[in-house]
Amino acid sequence: MDIRWYLVVSAFVFSIGATGVLTRRNPLVILLCLELMLNAANLALIAFARMWGNGDGQIFAIIVMVVAACEVTVGLGLIVAMYRRRIPIDVDEARELHG
Amino acid sequence: MSTTTWAWLVLACPLAGTVILSLGFRFWPGRAAGWIGTLAIAASFACAVATFVSLMAKDPEHRRIASTLYQYANTVRVDAKMTILVDPLSVLMMLVVSGVSMLIHLYSVTYMTRDRGLSRYFAYLNYFVFSMLLLVLAGNFFILIVGWAFVGAASYLLISFWYRRRTATRAGMKAFVINVVGDVGLVLGTFFLFRSTHTLDFLGTFAHAKQIPHGDVTAGCILLLVGAFAKSAQIPFHTWLADAMEGPTPVSALIHAATMVTAGVYLIARMHPIFELSTAAEIVGASIGGLTAFVAATIGLAVTDIKRVIAWSTMSQIGYMVMGVSTGAYAAGMFHFMTHAFFKALLFMGAGSVIGAMAGAQDMDRMGGFRRALPFTFACMVIGGLALAAIPPFSGYFSKDEILASISERGGGWWALYVVGYAAALLTAIYTFRLIFRVFLGEPVTEARELEEGHLHHADVHVNPTDGEVEDTDVGFPGPDHFIAEREFPMKVAMTLLAVLATVGGIVLLPFHATDWLDKFLEPTFADSKYFGALAPTDSRAALGLVLGAVIGLAGLAIAWTVWVRRPGTSARVIERFPRVHRLLVNQWYFDEILDTLFVRPALWFGRWAQSFFERVFVQGALVDGAAGVVRAGSAAVRTAQSGLLRAYVGLLVLGVVAVALYFLLQS
Repeated sequence: MDIRWYLVVSAFVFSIGATGVLTRRNPLVILLCLELMLNAANLALIAFARMWGNGDGQIFAIIVMVVAACEVTVGLGLIVAMYRRRIPIDVDEARELHG
Repeated sequence: MSTTTWAWLVLACPLAGTVILSLGFRFWPGRAAGWIGTLAIAASFACAVATFVSLMAKDPEHRRIASTLYQYANTVRVDAKMTILVDPLSVLMMLVVSGVSMLIHLYSVTYMTRDRGLSRYFAYLNYFVFSMLLLVLAGNFFILIVGWAFVGAASYLLISFWYRRRTATRAGMKAFVINVVGDVGLVLGTFFLFRSTHTLDFLGTFAHAKQIPHGDVTAGCILLLVGAFAKSAQIPFHTWLADAMEGPTPVSALIHAATMVTAGVYLIARMHPIFELSTAAEIVGASIGGLTAFVAATIGLAVTDIKRVIAWSTMSQIGYMVMGVSTGAYAAGMFHFMTHAFFKALLFMGAGSVIGAMAGAQDMDRMGGFRRALPFTFACMVIGGLALAAIPPFSGYFSKDEILASISERGGGWWALYVVGYAAALLTAIYTFRLIFRVFLGEPVTEARELEEGHLHHADVHVNPTDGEVEDTDVGFPGPDHFIAEREFPMKVAMTLLAVLATVGGIVLLPFHATDWLDKFLEPTFADSKYFGALAPTDSRAALGLVLGAVIGLAGLAIAWTVWVRRPGTSARVIERFPRVHRLLVNQWYFDEILDTLFVRPALWFGRWAQSFFERVFVQGALVDGAAGVVRAGSAAVRTAQSGLLRAYVGLLVLGVVAVALYFLLQS
């Protein structure tokens, strides 16, 4: 199959993720959208790996998954901490670090 | 051991003494510090004698030896090395400095016993001797400047030794500041010579002396003279020496009479190959020397502080030496340096003994009739006084006449200095015996009568002799007890030896070529001089000088006898008759006031302006506050971008990435 289809899907998923990050205020949903963006990138990496016929892109994709898992752990930990302290689960409310 | 090894040891001994004394100051009980210090200098003197012996064993042509310990830096054509130059001139200086210092250390062991901070005192004293020896042994300008500055620092430390006395600390600062002016002159002068010779080494510089442009020689010599004048207390840099008498009396004897103040004389003698190329420097040096010899002698007539009288006489005598070495009478100048070191140290030690008997008071108006109470001190002071007043056959008689007779050999306008020299000699004899007669003859004062009955006067309240301020006797002030030479063996030994030397010291260079040991000894150093040897007085000139000197000395003695012994009250009548002259002399020709108006006040005014305008308005206001204001305004402008809204950041990020991506897409 032509690589262009893979890239179109990847771009589409990435845009959905980015839009979600920009528009949603719930950190849980933002994390989900981030995962979408990362996986769109993974899709593109694997497509290119297949095109060139070597494993570099696949290895890169696996590392991205590991990093994504770590990032989700930290993000979920933050959300749990916010919940325990009864801080509203809303990124627009958490803006104490403004200048 | 080789000659230079001995010379290095001469330097090492006092340095070791300084280190041991300053590190162990807590552990030395009683007088131990004094004995350690004296021992270090005695070892140094022994090494100096060994250097002398081993130098004399060589041929006269091989008596200039330079030795380098290590190279500090040799870059951009600056050759800074740790070099000493051992030649007859430095060996003579070394012998006199370490020998007289040894005796003064010995004297100090008892004289300073009851002072708190005895270890500190001897550490400073050892440090001074080390610095002075470094100065005279220096083999290049680099070491010379180091020694020169060290000596100034040691002088500062010792003048302000009683550091809770305000007058003493002020005097120390004054001495240090004037000495630093001299240091600057020395460094700049060195630069002028270095510029065309490209070597700091003495022997190298002298070898290239002829290649230095004439303007550089003159500028260099005049600047070196500034250094010499500041260190040797010549007009107009002399005002610190009288104030330096705030230090302990042995310090006055050591630094401000016998050794340090003659550094300028040594410098001129050492630099003779360069000074002989500059007529201007010759004239400036000789005339300032003559002027100082005369002016200081007149002031010596009027002041009443016993130590200050001797201090002014020191300036006057150094004036003779500067006059001598500037006109090319090197052997005569160094001869007078040597005899002066003996009799002046002796006079100061005698003065210290008198001050001890007066329980710290120094004003001659309060003294009198100590002849029977202090017979030994009286004898020493008379010997020292006879040598200073140049009465035959004491040492000063031969050395001063040698200088003046050598000057007369130059002929022409130099005769003026000859006349000034003898006029100052008359004043010298008068003020010297004024001091002795006023202190030792006449009606005994209470202190003298008590002492005749065996009771050393003790002050109930200790006061500063300069301004009468009440003091205690703790550290930073003089100790509670005073000492006189009659009762203290070490003081007696030191004074006896100096009295012998002051009497017979003239033997090294007697007129009519009876003895010319000093001439012969110094010849290798001055072999390249056009004056050395050429200025040896003819027999008729020498005879004229000797007769004139003896007559003038005895005349001065007779005048002093008439004024202060035979017809007491004459001096009061003279003062009444010429009140203005007396005021001029008591105020030391107003040199302090003139320097104050010309330099000190403008400097203070400039300092205040710098503080109130330059520092406050320009540095603080424009530079410091201005820089802070720019940063503050800039940060206020960019702070609004930090909204804290996560989604706004993400939006900016996305926009940025898109912009970069578009840019690259459009580029391709």
